[in-house]
Amino acid sequence: MAKITENTRNEVRETVFSFFAEECEADKSQIKDATNIIKDLDGDSLMFLELIEIFKKKFNLDIELKTIGKYAVKHPVETIGQLIEMQLLIIEHENRLLELDK
Amino acid sequence: MAEDKPAFVFPAFISDYREDPSSNIPAFNVIFQSYLNTAAACTDEKLLAFHAESNPLIEDELLNQYLSYIYGCSCARVLLNNGVNPGMTAGYSMGIYAALFIAGSISFETGLLFIQKAYEAIRKTLLHTHYGMCGVIGLSENDIGEIVLNSNLNLMIVNRNSEYSFILAGDSFHINVFVLKAREEGALHARSIGVTIPYHTNLLEEAASEFSKTVFTADVHSPGIPLISVLNQVRIDDIALVRAEVVKNIHTPFNWLATQQQMYALGISHFTECGPSLALYKNSKFISGSGKFVKWNTLLKLSFRLPGFPDP
Repeated sequence: MAKITENTRNEVRETVFSFFAEECEADKSQIKDATNIIKDLDGDSLMFLELIEIFKKKFNLDIELKTIGKYAVKHPVETIGQLIEMQLLIIEHENRLLELDK
Repeated sequence: MAEDKPAFVFPAFISDYREDPSSNIPAFNVIFQSYLNTAAACTDEKLLAFHAESNPLIEDELLNQYLSYIYGCSCARVLLNNGVNPGMTAGYSMGIYAALFIAGSISFETGLLFIQKAYEAIRKTLLHTHYGMCGVIGLSENDIGEIVLNSNLNLMIVNRNSEYSFILAGDSFHINVFVLKAREEGALHARSIGVTIPYHTNLLEEAASEFSKTVFTADVHSPGIPLISVLNQVRIDDIALVRAEVVKNIHTPFNWLATQQQMYALGISHFTECGPSLALYKNSKFISGSGKFVKWNTLLKLSFRLPGFPDP
């Protein structure tokens, strides 16, 4: 289980904000934790998948996509802030993510 | 090798124009309207009711097929008119007709005829309209196979977009069951596609046979630029192969992942999607290779500044 430091949290936030600013051709300063990914940024599942792949490489994560998918069914992500929190949980728990619900 | 020219790739039939990259490009609008007028005169004048902001023809599969074709041909023609020539081409699923047109293999009108006759043959030979297709992202091919097997679903994978993105087709009830099961099993995305035809399945073999009567009597030429088969990734370079590809494309699964990788292997370093969506552009991020996609309108804008093919 990885320890989430302040540095990790900041890196995840920066990566997520930069990613959506570039992908959605949005002004980064206008993206907030409360920004709705689909309604406000026109985001989609391929972007979510791409972001997961970025974090898998960046943090050398051992996690199956379907584990994230199963978790997301119970914990739907709508906003940038929720997405950041989920990414931090993925980094922290990897393939044990679903054990959080037990 | 394809020098440093881009590959023009053409998406399948699309009814959603919300990502339309052509808006506010006068050169596109002029050509699109010209093709639209020709198509309306050849096929159905209802096409003239189209406007991208709120596609009023969205419920009509055949009209939408014409529109996707018209749109793809228009995108490619605008690029050609601005000195951007393709080094290769391929058509995703029914995008084959626009790819053939831009390769000089068929006329614009023959492309319309193929779309019409394929659709008529399918409607004539399919037993009912309770068929569908769906896309699933985030599951492996094995995961999908297990769902299909364990739930006794009469479905087949008809295309692999990338390692974790697939298209399935078959009975519409089974499609709906699969979508629910796939979500339960952790798919990041699973959704039915708004069609009632199980393209690329053996359910369309009889339709393909009927359609072949049109294809084998139509005026077809050898492609003037390399055209890559999405069915087996070989180069289609003569009339017989063109005819065979058009017929087989109706009832045979394809592999977009392998097709794009093959184009990389043949020296293509840049792709552009000639269509109203960014579906192939987005999907390309999950296909390993040295090339990259350039948005159609970006390529067009760059072509105004640089002679020949611009380096994006």
